[in-house]
Amino acid sequence: MKFYEDQKESYDALPKEKFVLVQREERLHDTEFKTKPIGFFKDVMLRFTKNKASVCAAVIILIISFFAIFGPGMNEYRYDEQHTDRINMPPKIPAIAKLNIGLFDGGYLLENRNYDNLSDPSRYPEGSVLEIRNPRLVNGQRTVDVWVDYYKYSGMADDECYWFGSDYLGRDIWTRMWRGARISLTIAIVSVLCNVTIGIIYGSISGYYGGAVDMLMMRITEIINAFPRIVIVTLFIMVAGTGMFSIIMSLVIKDWVSTARMVRSQFYRFKGREYVLAARTLGVKDMALIFRHILPNSIGPVITSAMIAIPTAIFAESFLAYIGLGLQAPEPSIGVMLSQGQKVLLHYPSQVVFPAIIISLLMISFNLFGNGLRDAFDPTLRGTE
Amino acid sequence: MFRYILSRIVAMAITLFIIVSIAFMVVRLMPGSVYEMGGDLSQTVIDALNAKYHFDEPIIKQYGYFLQNIFLHWDWGTSAKMRPNVPVFEILRDRIPVTLELNLVSLFAALPIGILAGIIAAIRKNTIADHLVSLMVVLFISIPSFVFAAALQYFLGFKAGLFPIIYNVSATGLLKWQSMFMPILALMFDPIARVARYLRAELAETMNSEFMLLAKTKGLTYGQSTVRHGLRNSMVPLMNVIIPMFANVLGGSLVVENIFSVPGMGGLMVDSINASDHMLTVAILVFYSLISLITVLVVDISYGIIDPRVRMGGKK
Repeated sequence: MKFYEDQKESYDALPKEKFVLVQREERLHDTEFKTKPIGFFKDVMLRFTKNKASVCAAVIILIISFFAIFGPGMNEYRYDEQHTDRINMPPKIPAIAKLNIGLFDGGYLLENRNYDNLSDPSRYPEGSVLEIRNPRLVNGQRTVDVWVDYYKYSGMADDECYWFGSDYLGRDIWTRMWRGARISLTIAIVSVLCNVTIGIIYGSISGYYGGAVDMLMMRITEIINAFPRIVIVTLFIMVAGTGMFSIIMSLVIKDWVSTARMVRSQFYRFKGREYVLAARTLGVKDMALIFRHILPNSIGPVITSAMIAIPTAIFAESFLAYIGLGLQAPEPSIGVMLSQGQKVLLHYPSQVVFPAIIISLLMISFNLFGNGLRDAFDPTLRGTE
Repeated sequence: MFRYILSRIVAMAITLFIIVSIAFMVVRLMPGSVYEMGGDLSQTVIDALNAKYHFDEPIIKQYGYFLQNIFLHWDWGTSAKMRPNVPVFEILRDRIPVTLELNLVSLFAALPIGILAGIIAAIRKNTIADHLVSLMVVLFISIPSFVFAAALQYFLGFKAGLFPIIYNVSATGLLKWQSMFMPILALMFDPIARVARYLRAELAETMNSEFMLLAKTKGLTYGQSTVRHGLRNSMVPLMNVIIPMFANVLGGSLVVENIFSVPGMGGLMVDSINASDHMLTVAILVFYSLISLITVLVVDISYGIIDPRVRMGGKK
């Protein structure tokens, strides 16, 4: 793409004597700046790092992304590997189980057991009973609740363990959860990238040219905006089928409008400025004016809103999984795992706890991160701290 | 003003018509018919059923019948799978009040809490109370309603046994509200946080304006000036934040109703999609569109009332 009219040749043709150095004899009255100039992004970075919560959030996002990339490969299970004899296992991590703090020890509470059977090794293998709770007499029968090591209770080898437990088909929750996080993040990030790309192009054209073009383009966004999100997403998934691509597209189909409107309003603010006029006078083409001179002004708000849009997309994906329009089995996503865990919540809460913690952490972190970015990009807050 | 409202209503009607058309086409063009899914119907019966409901005719004609039935007889079709042979509108009539009750109660219960939290945060800016409110806002906005719902169900319902784990359909009076409590609470978190965040920003800005200084100069106490001048000015735009929130809460309630087995629109929508009960799905989608369009309309009109520039629409 050619941004500027090339006039170098006409300058080269001028004889050298015609050029005179100006200001050589004049003394400069300005005092020299002692401080180093900093660029826009460096300035943003500086102010962003002052905000402790946002930095924390960024670190959490990085950690979760790390596990989302490498987590599924960390143990020997595969995400779709079923063990029908090992269903609904409680979480057990050997290193933590040794500490005896009652977490990740593979413990499970068996209620209303006959006390007399406890010493029977065919029912309770050696070392499986961890604690006896609530002894009582029911119809003359000595009854207790037993806290057992479920792994030993069901006769599994010592070295075999599910770090976060297993689900109703005996699939490893650790592997599935990180794979789910990977998929949820991918869906969120890809859909937001698409939104931003479409929004920037659409908003720039609409904002820069204005007039009838703007009028028509904004009417279109108004129509799209009038469709309720639930309805549009549901319809799209019903047509396109449940899959990663169609979920991403269903999130893109409406959400790019907000980016487009924001970019457009930025164009309206800046396109009348003197520097734009100056650039235009110098013969800068429309494309260069749009992308090189005006668009960078809206980069801050666009990045911020993209960050805020990511948790919304993660939420939307889980929401779809809950209403039965999520990814197809056996592919996990955080929403799929939550909605499956919901069915056995009262008996095996751990199947909900882990995905719930991850999705909450992700949402909180992205929101805090976005807030921090918004403050860092906001020029009116510059120098107030 | 009248012209403005009329133009908004016409625009809304056109949008609704487009949505209904698209919804009908999409849902009806989905492959597979309810009658063929069971497998135990003979071809003759299927043909007869298709003929009865005009499923054997071109889609455009079907759409014509659909609109005709709605406008002439207020007949939204007949459910084929969920509750066979029951008119769709009758099913909706049973379900809509439950959903609306749940959503409206949770929204209105959230308002005072959110407003109070916002005021406290704004007048005690940069104190511990403000930071606590900010923390609450971040948590409540970020954590999805279904995580709250699951936590409430497990801890309050199952462990503590304070509230029924699922919604009790047959209960009346106090028992009904007891079983409604957890779904309502799960839906309240988000509106609370949004109202608090909005009011904090708005009120803090108003408190810094010059008329507040004037109010203090003329001898009003801090409380008087805050309530009479600060609060009143920040309350006006609050309505326009609350109304769109209703559509938001309605979306969240889809999942929460599912979790607590509330017999509302949420569960119905999920089930009707999974059962491919097409006519029901169309009607539910229209219901959701209608609600969201009405909220937009109300906001537009109230903007028009508050701000004359909007209703004049750039006229000189």
